[in-house]
Amino acid sequence: MIKGLKMLLVLTLGFTLVLAGCSGTGSKSDPKPSNGESTNNGGKETPGTDKVEPFTVSLRHIQIGDAQKFRKALLNDVVKKTEDEIKGLKFELDAVEDQVNRYTKLPAEMAAGNPPVIFDLFGGMGDAQKYAKAGRLLELTPILEELGIKDKFLNLGQFMVGDKIYGLPIGGNNEGIFYNKKLFAEHGIAAPTTLEELEAAAAKLKEAGVTPFAMGSQAGWIPNMLVNTLIGRYAGPDLVERVSDGSLKFNSPDIVAAYSKYEEWVKAGYFTKGELGLSYDQMLNEFLNSKAGMMFDGSWRSSAFKNEELAKNITSEDVAYIPFPAVPGGKGDQTYVNGNYGNGYGFSATLDDNELKAVKAFIKNMYNDEMQLRGLLEDGVLPAMKLSADAMGKVEDPVVKQVLDVAAASGGAFSHFEISIPSKVYTETEIQLQAIIAGQATAQQAGDAIQKILDAEAGK
Amino acid sequence: MRSALRNPYVYALFVIPTIGLYFLFTIYPMLSSAYYAFTDWDGLNDPKYIGFHNFTTALQDPYFQNSIVNNMYFILFSVFVQVPLIIMFAILIGSVKRLQGFYKTTVFVPSILSTAVIGILWQFIYNPEVGIVNKFLGLFGIDTIYWLADMRYALWAILITNAWQWMGFYIVLVLAAILAIPRELNEAAEIDGAGGFQRAIRITVPLIKPIISVIVMLSIAGAMRVVDIVLVMTKGGPVSSTEVMASYMVNRAIRYGEYGYGTSLAMLIFVIALVLTALYQLTFGRTKEEVTY
Repeated sequence: MIKGLKMLLVLTLGFTLVLAGCSGTGSKSDPKPSNGESTNNGGKETPGTDKVEPFTVSLRHIQIGDAQKFRKALLNDVVKKTEDEIKGLKFELDAVEDQVNRYTKLPAEMAAGNPPVIFDLFGGMGDAQKYAKAGRLLELTPILEELGIKDKFLNLGQFMVGDKIYGLPIGGNNEGIFYNKKLFAEHGIAAPTTLEELEAAAAKLKEAGVTPFAMGSQAGWIPNMLVNTLIGRYAGPDLVERVSDGSLKFNSPDIVAAYSKYEEWVKAGYFTKGELGLSYDQMLNEFLNSKAGMMFDGSWRSSAFKNEELAKNITSEDVAYIPFPAVPGGKGDQTYVNGNYGNGYGFSATLDDNELKAVKAFIKNMYNDEMQLRGLLEDGVLPAMKLSADAMGKVEDPVVKQVLDVAAASGGAFSHFEISIPSKVYTETEIQLQAIIAGQATAQQAGDAIQKILDAEAGK
Repeated sequence: MRSALRNPYVYALFVIPTIGLYFLFTIYPMLSSAYYAFTDWDGLNDPKYIGFHNFTTALQDPYFQNSIVNNMYFILFSVFVQVPLIIMFAILIGSVKRLQGFYKTTVFVPSILSTAVIGILWQFIYNPEVGIVNKFLGLFGIDTIYWLADMRYALWAILITNAWQWMGFYIVLVLAAILAIPRELNEAAEIDGAGGFQRAIRITVPLIKPIISVIVMLSIAGAMRVVDIVLVMTKGGPVSSTEVMASYMVNRAIRYGEYGYGTSLAMLIFVIALVLTALYQLTFGRTKEEVTY
């Protein structure tokens, strides 16, 4: 009897364990109908009844830290407005650092097929277009047509495959040189308009013990911004098209000339010492603390100068923004600037009805004249959509005004070469540029190494 | 009860769930990686079988070769620098009479900190401008050293941080072995006129040989799979000078989206680790003789 009882006890214990194990795995799918799994559910709930089932929509953004606080505030407003409009909707905000999202988290989720419903997305071959071709992104063309905003965007090229749209840039930017007017005045330097003047200014700052250019090259994309503009000057503004059709090679004299100029400046000590160990934020601090006289960066940085928590040493009034000057022997129109509409939002391809409703409302609330203007006025990000001259005239921030002036005075814009090459080749450009900075490679060696990988990829 | 335990089904009942989980989370992923390693899978499109192409590419890949060399530095550093230091500190702590518990806890603390915390902590220590290391070297007139930004120093900086993180754990292991040595042995040696150093070398070390052998093997295994500290401190840079096999594999698989190539690298890492530990076991790691007191 006792034996039997013990046996029963052991068996019960065993089964309990098994059941406990099973219930754990089962409960995961309970709380909400996840991606694409239950379109029926979503369709059934609405008709007639007032009862609304709450549902959540995941939203991945990269607005982290003080430098992004204006952009985050805009996002918060859109989230709030969308939640108010769609009954039962609750956004689950997931803040992830830009590089981690772009290079680690999102690619892994795309591979596993479970990206968030709405997520921060970059355009180009290595990101949006790659995911779109693999069927991971929601095609937005019908939604944009329905909302009547399809033709309002200035440039959707980086988010398109054929004539289909798969992502929406949040804004635009151009890249140029920020300089510290106080430091320049202190050392008797006038605003440089030619390359000679720029180099003379750098030499003078260097002599006075001020770092000429703030630079943080721990992540290769940061110095790559300057290289990209140098290539645009030496090889001409059609670099992206020519890199992608193979007529412009990385080891051609034009691109090598760009790398050589960079190498020359590294050797002259024009960049922050120990730049390979410094991050993007540290580079900004270097400039904000007047340790460096200049900084080559994107126009999106303009909001940092009016952010009192970051800029204690200077204000927007002390910062000037100029385009990179023409280079002697440069090809094509030398007034072009590097301008991009490259970062914005993408949406998962597998959505249920509720999620699709939320996505439509999100697009409506995020991409309109009001939000675009707020982005420009509050965050200094150039609009991705056409705004009236009247609206554009409301800009008061001194740096943003100069950014707009630079854009207006330019002959046009060229993009990052990054959008025309596979991510593996792009990473090689980062490694080779860092090798130049570390004195491990010459401009020609770097160009050869990049071209070799590009050829190998093209041959695939 | 006894009859219940004699019943094979009862054993099966307890073992099957675990085997099931083990199969699901260990065996199945291993088998599927073995498959993906022979494909060009990019994580997005359907994999295509490409034979040994990934493996031949990997063996000729200069970045992978470089990361193997860096892993070897980790192994050499842990075996020839870390292990002797561990033994030394363990003997020192083992012979103190007062505050032994305090020392034990202190050396153990780093190994309970998360690697992210340690990485950030040491980034401050190595900071070229305000870091304590450069401040100290500055006293002797040594110029600013960019520890994590200079290819010549970055790997050393990480080796030291990694050693600092894990030494405490091993010290406590060795210490336990030392404290288990009967006191009489040391006392007898002392009466015979052996000094502290002689006792350490001739009595303590030979008696803790088995545990030393274990920590050497754990160090080799640890050095083979080191990755987190590298990712936190330098992300493999500057210019791949601190790239290790695992960080390179993660980069290739996830950042470049080359899951097929990444899994082939993972398999190569597995094979290298297996060969190294087997070599160690067959040569130095043999501890056939039981230690008898």
